Order: sequence, then C-alpha cells, then structure tokens
Amino acid sequence: MESLKVYILIANRVYNDGIRSGLGLAVENHYAFPVIMNGEFPRMSNYMAENIAWISDMEGQVYSCGAEAPTDLPEGTEIANISLEELGEAMREADFIIPYGLPKQSHEPPGACSE
Amino acid sequence: MKILQVYKSEPTEDVKKLVEILNRDRTADEFKLYMGEPNYDTLVQKIFANDKTVCWW
Amino acid sequence: MAADPNKLGIFVTSPQHMRHILGIAKAAVRAGKTVMVFFTYKSIHLTKNPLFVELTQLCAVENIAICADSYICEGFDNVNDIPRGLIDKQMRTQAFHGAILDECAKYIVM
Repeated sequence: MESLKVYILIANRVYNDGIRSGLGLAVENHYAFPVIMNGEFPRMSNYMAENIAWISDMEGQVYSCGAEAPTDLPEGTEIANISLEELGEAMREADFIIPYGLPKQSHEPPGACSE
Repeated sequence: MKILQVYKSEPTEDVKKLVEILNRDRTADEFKLYMGEPNYDTLVQKIFANDKTVCWW
Repeated sequence: MAADPNKLGIFVTSPQHMRHILGIAKAAVRAGKTVMVFFTYKSIHLTKNPLFVELTQLCAVENIAICADSYICEGFDNVNDIPRGLIDKQMRTQAFHGAILDECAKYIVM
C-alpha cells in the first residue's frame, strides 16, 4: 500500500486528539503531520508526549504554526515551528488535508475548563 | 490537478492564505456549506470532478 | 489495491454537521457511489442524533464505523450501549480511517 502524506490541522484547544488520529495513520504506514495552529497546545500528559514522539519515530512530525513551539517538552518529544506560508507550500504535496474538529474559539476558556 | 475547497463556516484570514497557496497554478473550485440550504448533489458532483477536496472548519 | 474511483470517504471529526453528512451521503448514493464513513473523537456524539440511523442504512456494514476508544473516552459503554444502527464489529480503531484513505478515491472531512 502506498504511504500517504496527511496533514491534520488543529485550530481548537479541545481537538488536540488530532495528534492521536495522526499516530493512528502513522502506524498504518502513512506520514502524519499534525499541525497545532495559533498556540492551541495540548496539556502535555505522558500519553500526549509519547504520541508526539512516536509520530516523529515514524517519519512524521508535529508542527506548531502561528505560535512558538514550547521548548520544555519531555525528552524525545519535539514540536517543530512552521510558518503559515511554509505550511501552505508543504501541503501542496499532501495527499490529504484534514482540518480537524472545530475552528478556534473567539473567547478564552472559562476557569471550569481552562486548566 | 483540480482542487475543491469546501467551507463549513466563513474562512478566516489564515484559511484564505492557505487556500491561496494550495490553489496556485491549479484549477480550483469552491463550495460554501454555510450559505443557505446547500445543494448536496452539486457538492458530490464537484467532489467527484476534482482530484482533491479540502473541507475547512 | 487501488482506491475505488466510485467510493467516497467521509471522515467525521466535528460533532455538529450531521445534516451535511447525511445530505452528502444521500447525494452520493443517488449518484451511484459507495460511501464509507468513520466517526472519531467528539463526533461520536452524533451517534445519538436521530439522523444517524438513517446514515447507517445508506452504508454496508463494512463501510461505516466509529472509534471505540473515542466512544469510551466520552463516557459511553461500548458493550451495553452500541449506537442504534451499528453492531459490535463496527466499533473500530483509527485503522478504519487508514482503510478509508486506501480504499476511497474521493474524500471529505466533516
């Protein structure tokens, strides 16, 4: 089966599950590139850190677009920076582009779900 | 390469920029799902007439 | 195996577009196409929408599934509360999404 290049765009803090979805494709021998847009980073649980590391191990990459990627990540876990223009150019070569979940919210989350 | 851009809501400036890059030097079409009552038959025709579909948020 | 030119894959990641999903699936079937659908993460809440059963009737058993892990993560019981219109073997993993990418020549995200 042909290995496909798949970009998963995550614009909403609630939908970082797109990273797990990317890993699901990586284990099916596809190249997964989850992109966290505008600083909507996940809470860095061990599970999330492992998923990000596995995607890199499988020749994919988790990117940050529109905000500096955090540098204090667990060892072996890397989020690379990519500009909007670079992302657009890279996605011209994509087999699939997946805007994942919901768009960005217009307000900051309330205390009940902000941590 | 023929590419179809589908929008579920009004595109943001970031989406517009990405679409501009993706559509460059390609035959591009679009379909707005957020405008009125969508004609799904037309949308399906467009999906099958294009090589690739990107459906934005 | 080459992707089937008459097969449309629908990857559902948002919990709020059941009307569009059903509209597209019905139009595709009207056009003589086969539809393959996978629901993941919070979109699995759409299995509780009355329109979901109608969607399952448009697809062969092997062509519609939901992510079992997502269903469990969202608090549902994947054994005693299988969504109406599905059977246990349609509670799948992300590999089903991989199969959509492999089998469907056309693809849309909802």
